[in-house]
Amino acid sequence: MGFLDALLGGRRKLTAPAPDRLFAMTTAQVTLEVELGLRHRNVAGVVFQPLATSDFREIASETDELLRSAGKDTGTTVETADDEFGYRWIVLRDSDFEDLVVSLNTVSTQIQGGGYGDRLLCCVFAFEEEGRPVYLIYNFKRGAFYPFVPVGGSDHRRDNERELRLKAQLAAELPIEQELERWFPLWEIPL
Amino acid sequence: MVRSRITFGRDVGLQARMLLTMFLLGLLYVAFVVVLLQSGAQATMMLVIVGGMVLAQLFLADKLALAAVGAKEVEASEAPALHAMVERLCIQADLPKPRIAVADTPVPNAFAMGRSQKKAVVCATTGIMRALEPHELEGVLAHELAHVKNRDCLIMTIASFFATVAAMITQFGFFFGGGFGHGGGSDDDDGGHPAILVVLLVSVAVYAISFVLMLALSRYREFSADRGAALTTGRPSALASALVKISGVMERVPDQDLRAVGRMNAFFIVPTSVKTTVRSIFSTHPPMEKRIARLEQLEIELQRA
Repeated sequence: MGFLDALLGGRRKLTAPAPDRLFAMTTAQVTLEVELGLRHRNVAGVVFQPLATSDFREIASETDELLRSAGKDTGTTVETADDEFGYRWIVLRDSDFEDLVVSLNTVSTQIQGGGYGDRLLCCVFAFEEEGRPVYLIYNFKRGAFYPFVPVGGSDHRRDNERELRLKAQLAAELPIEQELERWFPLWEIPL
Repeated sequence: MVRSRITFGRDVGLQARMLLTMFLLGLLYVAFVVVLLQSGAQATMMLVIVGGMVLAQLFLADKLALAAVGAKEVEASEAPALHAMVERLCIQADLPKPRIAVADTPVPNAFAMGRSQKKAVVCATTGIMRALEPHELEGVLAHELAHVKNRDCLIMTIASFFATVAAMITQFGFFFGGGFGHGGGSDDDDGGHPAILVVLLVSVAVYAISFVLMLALSRYREFSADRGAALTTGRPSALASALVKISGVMERVPDQDLRAVGRMNAFFIVPTSVKTTVRSIFSTHPPMEKRIARLEQLEIELQRA
């Protein structure tokens, strides 16, 4: 945002998605699995802010149809859920990791194509390490990934040590979010 | 290149008025500084002192504000829902996460403070969290985050710099005038008295005019923050319904509670002394109906996309 925009308080639009670096995840997944022993849980999700307009609803249902028809070939299954904060999750399940990334890309391309790219929040990839969930979150606006390792329990704690270690381990593979205050957690991830 | 569908255009009128206000304020301040510099060292000293004060204010504003309303910072484990809501809004508004505080008071209100986006703190009262539905509260928090994004705390503090100088001279002017006349004795003080009188008069004028201009600026920035909130959440009507709810409750809350938090009006989502009769140039916030009307307009623009 420019200086004049700040001075005049006149933000015209939200930050648009950064150039897409989602596909970096496909190669990183190999490293995660082979070198670090993190297995993907055959599931990934994309979160966005659904607008209550007819135009947006149309795009959302088109996207859904597209995913379902593509799923007939790839075997990717699609679920949609709205969380308690009013954000929509499209949850995709497939044992083939590349298919998951392609499907996520379909969603983001559809929404951006409709002119609503700024409503995209993030993609979430679910992994497992010794029975514990490890998430990698892709922030569309920043075009960067960050790890999120929740510690079980209801008091919303996260394993910062593991997250920082993952940052070091994945630095060569993924564009990692450098500002730690933007490593936003997502609790109650439906993956 | 894919373009964003919802831009809500640009509120040209609003920005023009804001620019004009800032220009007038700047002009006023330049004239004020010229007079101050002409009058001698005492006034320059004053500039330095107030400069230090404003700097201190910038660095302490968040702590003072929280202390003034008896708010305390809360960790994610203490207020998980509030944290999660702000976190999602931050991703959407492309902001680093601010600190979050809660004030235990029935007055439904919220405010944001902090000299920069990274040092911001957003505070909500327990009253507003009880009074509003989640999507309404989200609208209010998005409004506060828009203040953070627009750097309103910094801009209003800078804008108030010379107003503070003028206010101090107005208040202590006679004292300084006396000091000039009788102090030392050996130095030539010819022309000292008239200069002080001029500075005093100019200060009174600057104080009065800048006061009105600052209030206007504050109102414009409220509209901007409403607009920013609507953009962030994509739900202008949610904020509108929050404003309707809060304003209704505000009028029924006893006065003592309001006065306790009265000093921080400029940064609240709704000024704490909303009375239907007070709708003049002497308020920090635009009238509720106007804000709601503009949000309705944004909802129309949104639906038309």
